[in-house]
Amino acid sequence: MKLLTGEILSNEKYNDSLYKMEIFSPYICKDAQAGQFINVKCSHDGVLDPLLRRPFGIFNIEKKFNVFSMLYWVKGRGTKFISGLKRGDMLDFVGPLGKGIDLSKGENNILLIGGGIGIAPLYLIAKLASGMKKNVFFAAGFKDNSYLRWEKDLIELKINYAVLTEDGSWGEKGLVSDYVWNNIKLFKSFDIYCCGPRDMLKTLQNIYKDRNNKVTALLEERMACGVGVCEGCAVKIRKGKKGFSYKKVCKDGPAFNLGEVIFD
Amino acid sequence: MTEQNSLFSYETNTGGNGFSLSVRLGRIKLDNPVIACSGTFAYGLEYSQFYNTAILGAVTTKSYSLAPIEGNPPPRICETASGMLNSIGLQNDGIDIFIKKHLHEAEKLGIKIILSIFGQDPEEFKKVASRTVDIKERIIAVELNLSCPNVKKGGMAFSAMPDEVEKIVSSTVSILNIPVIAKLSPNHQNLVEAAMAAKKGGAEALSVINTVVGMAVDIETFIPRLGNVLGGLSGPAVKPIALAKVYSLTREKILPVIGMGGIFSWQDALEFLVVGASAVGIGTANFVQYDVGKKIIEGLRNYLKEKKIYDINEVIGRLRT
Repeated sequence: MKLLTGEILSNEKYNDSLYKMEIFSPYICKDAQAGQFINVKCSHDGVLDPLLRRPFGIFNIEKKFNVFSMLYWVKGRGTKFISGLKRGDMLDFVGPLGKGIDLSKGENNILLIGGGIGIAPLYLIAKLASGMKKNVFFAAGFKDNSYLRWEKDLIELKINYAVLTEDGSWGEKGLVSDYVWNNIKLFKSFDIYCCGPRDMLKTLQNIYKDRNNKVTALLEERMACGVGVCEGCAVKIRKGKKGFSYKKVCKDGPAFNLGEVIFD
Repeated sequence: MTEQNSLFSYETNTGGNGFSLSVRLGRIKLDNPVIACSGTFAYGLEYSQFYNTAILGAVTTKSYSLAPIEGNPPPRICETASGMLNSIGLQNDGIDIFIKKHLHEAEKLGIKIILSIFGQDPEEFKKVASRTVDIKERIIAVELNLSCPNVKKGGMAFSAMPDEVEKIVSSTVSILNIPVIAKLSPNHQNLVEAAMAAKKGGAEALSVINTVVGMAVDIETFIPRLGNVLGGLSGPAVKPIALAKVYSLTREKILPVIGMGGIFSWQDALEFLVVGASAVGIGTANFVQYDVGKKIIEGLRNYLKEKKIYDINEVIGRLRT
């Protein structure tokens, strides 16, 4: 991991709130693994508001061009700031952070379950796993069709996928967790990676409680340092039969065994 | 002297090229006045990936208690205007793990360690200090965390009770006989009395301030933004408060002060020094600009060069009122 600045090659508006930013960084492209993230300064040099860096999962890596990208949803002051950055501006970031996911192990079948912006870090897993000739299926759920433009990225991967929207405006109408439940037999021998809203993860935890699938959740939590110092991004992880301990999303994660996560 | 040579001598001995950054706080002698604050630097390992943390005047470890502490329920972090609230709750591995494992790792990096300790009551402080006796030669001071706002027992309550401050300081001094620093809270009206009590107890210096109690609420859900409801505010938002608190102590000339609270730049650090702090603590800034400690040392050094001030001590306490 390093303190880095990278030139922004594009900051494409997918819809009113969804953006994809491409950044030139040989270091990230060489070193980063699936599941890792970068911690981005979301204010101009010398400006201290917004104060804290914001973590973003790495969405895609194009090694050939030394370009990586992040897909982000404009929600607060930090994401609003970066949505205003232009091609040619420099991005101040640290990375790659967090533990990478070793996709070479495990089943040959991979199911990715993403809800909302949770699809972002899963996309890189899908790309790398499919590059390893694994059979990859992407199930993605959204409120509406605001992520429609992302389907173009997904099509590029040439994998099977299903899109669900709560209002039925794109793909099937319904929740992605219901989709998974309805097709549970189809995904029997799949390793699963999921990322999304807490309610979705809780439902998936129930669905896979007594099943044999290896289910990995990529968790999000507010964090300050991103490198394991501040203890801010704590999540409860089961320890023994009844106990728990706090683990850091930034350093111990962001990937955790979903069955071990305690959602209060 | 070439630039490269001067940089080298500065990295190994900040006083070696005619412009001295070294400061003294009682028996504590530092190569430069820049200290990493407790709880914002762990014990130096992580940030050593970004720069040579051995150049810091010192690193104050996170606070260690007798037994490990799990900390408070999440969310533990919330950003506010030019600041952040935290309610970590002194999560730590316990003093024994620090002694057995972390201290050695910090030493390997050449870090000068100030060990921060915490107890829920004066008895626990004594016990933690007793465990520390065998390693006291390997640390430059002990900082007593008498001011954490995020724990139910002890914490900032001590800072409000000068008698307790004196008792804990004096027992630590008698057990360890090394420099003891009392970290005090800005959240009570009697800071000066608490500082006097620390002096009476035999403290070498004071760390001021710890975080300011604060809270934030999610207006969609009406739920507090911190799992612990209340937390401690830090960052640029608290700097004027911190400066005023430091000033309230330095003008009384009670003990040398390590000034901290919202320092993000060498200019911020200089303000604290001018107000009379003998050293400065860098806290929240470490989360944002990982090599800020290095930048502040460089900035102070350049300032001295530019102003042709040969000793940083010449600016300490030079506030003109």
